[in-house]
Amino acid sequence: MICLSELRHQYYKFASVHIKMGEEMPEIVAFMKLALEQAKIAFDNLEVPVGCVIVMDEKVISCGRNRTNETRNATRHAEMEAIDGLLEEWKEKGLTKHEVVEMFSKCYLYVTCEPCIMCASALSFIGIKEVYYGCANDKFGGCGSILSLHTNTTTSDSGEDVGRKSYKCTGGIMGEEAVSLFRNFYELGNPNAPKPHRQPIQQP
Amino acid sequence: MSASGEKADSIRLPLRFSHCQLLKRFLPCSPPYTIASPVKPTARDLRTPQLQLGNMNKCEENKSWEIIHIPDKPPFPLHQQPTVKVYAAVIDPKHANTLVRKLNKILPLENLHHVKRVRKQDLNEGCIHLSVILCLACESESQLDNIPQEVVELINSYKLETFITKVCKYAPLSKEEWIEQCKIWPTSYHPPTYNIRGITGFSEEESNSVCTFMKQALDLAKCECQMMNAAIIIDPSTNEVIAEARDQVNSCSCCSINHEATSQNHDKLVLNSSATKPELLNYGNGVSCLNPWKWFNQKSCSWHPLRHAAIVAIENSSVRDKLLFHGNEHVADNLDETNHLLKKQKIKSIHVNDDEEVVNSQSNGRPYLCTGYDIYLVWEPCTMCAMALVHQRVKRIFYAFPNKSDGALGSVHRLQGEKSLNHHYAVFRVMLPQESFDECLM
Ligand SMILES: [Zn+2]
Ligand SMILES: [Zn+2]
Repeated sequence: MICLSELRHQYYKFASVHIKMGEEMPEIVAFMKLALEQAKIAFDNLEVPVGCVIVMDEKVISCGRNRTNETRNATRHAEMEAIDGLLEEWKEKGLTKHEVVEMFSKCYLYVTCEPCIMCASALSFIGIKEVYYGCANDKFGGCGSILSLHTNTTTSDSGEDVGRKSYKCTGGIMGEEAVSLFRNFYELGNPNAPKPHRQPIQQP
Repeated sequence: MSASGEKADSIRLPLRFSHCQLLKRFLPCSPPYTIASPVKPTARDLRTPQLQLGNMNKCEENKSWEIIHIPDKPPFPLHQQPTVKVYAAVIDPKHANTLVRKLNKILPLENLHHVKRVRKQDLNEGCIHLSVILCLACESESQLDNIPQEVVELINSYKLETFITKVCKYAPLSKEEWIEQCKIWPTSYHPPTYNIRGITGFSEEESNSVCTFMKQALDLAKCECQMMNAAIIIDPSTNEVIAEARDQVNSCSCCSINHEATSQNHDKLVLNSSATKPELLNYGNGVSCLNPWKWFNQKSCSWHPLRHAAIVAIENSSVRDKLLFHGNEHVADNLDETNHLLKKQKIKSIHVNDDEEVVNSQSNGRPYLCTGYDIYLVWEPCTMCAMALVHQRVKRIFYAFPNKSDGALGSVHRLQGEKSLNHHYAVFRVMLPQESFDECLM
């Protein structure tokens, strides 16, 4: 069996920034499906449907979904939830800061929508290895749409090395599925529309 | 968009500001303090009483505090305002009205609303020359092939001779800028007439409370073991403190907020007068927004790479919101993102109630997130924190020191000028008495 890193290597040959449907590698699609599952849970909880999973050594080690309405905190995006979950777990296990840095540098994030400027920054701060996303976010996107925080081309105003970290970022993975979730959410969630008949599904 | 292109004002910004005569308000009880030059701090400077930040009751004595609006676009020298290329044509005055009407219909000048479509030149002996802007031109090429078909049809039917010219990219911020711009191509200038957000100046009362809250933030930023960033969220309509927080990226037991310790022990809040520069340099290391990539280099008891002061303050405000309005849960109307995606998909969207004024006060008095609130930060926030404040709908941001490594409100990026964002706050820098003070902190 061909190993994942080898597959990724082949895949890079044709993946630039956005890739067309059907060209994705099966692993990437499989992980994005799990991220979409998270987005659906957000949807069922009347949240803007964005979800993500964090993968290390080909295993999902964390997941997150948008919880901005529930928390009344508009910064509780899926990515922040997934990162905080990992940090909590790793700290409980007694990992040191440097071990945590080492762990993050092996992590892949799969998220249904391009990380916003806040999350794209956070992903750079923790030093994630790589990001795959579904649809672009041309209102808030921090991985190419509005700003390019995944690259380290930005220089600080003082010109000194601030230790900026870059990560590879690939968009367009099952983007249509992500957008159709947004569309459904919008139709149901519109506060001016009649209240949805379904009950919010409680998370187990 | 490349961010490096927007690199603009740094520590020397205020000088340029005063030079350009941009919006600037001195605190009351002037004479206004002028900054002669960004002098390097000396030990004597550090001992001057003005640096004692703990005196909450002496705002009137701080003659030199000033509040500076940090606008949406970087300040440009009068004669070097950015321009864009456009196709224009000389037209027969007889056709002027018809042509302008047609052009405005088929190709309105998006993002160039300040630019006048027609230029009137008075040549010799009452001979008037009219030129009209047809469309934007490619910055690199001078070929005509990027002109839209409808414009080409107009060119042909009116037998227009096109030429490429320049117009100013941004609306003028001052009369001086406007006069300069009109030398290139006429623009219109609308002096600011409103004062909702302090952009055109602050009342004496408001200046004093800005000063007071910034001092409170400075007090909060200083703990026994390190200098951190601090954030205080205020409801300016009541001057109520909604939430406050320090960085929690690297903290020790002494770093958790203890009101008695921070407000009574002023000695601790003053920089040690015998401190030398190398020691002072360590202070900046603990400021999360200045070193967001170096969180793992510091010794601490508890840590979290993303718990910058602004993020923690937002969290505290949302906890307060949930406690105060318990049982009033409802689906928030944070649908702009979805709405936007739908528009992109060309799906006809229903009206979404995302207007700030409408959601500002709900029937139960519950504010929508931090709508209408101000935040005071000691350091200019990083991109993560600045975007978090967009998401949480903060109305105004005040900061004391610029952030050269990742500042998102003028130093490296300028989020307040990103038109695509669904919310825009006004940004102000509160200048402390000594311009060089921040340099020694970093
Ligand atoms: Zn985000
Ligand atoms: Zn920050």
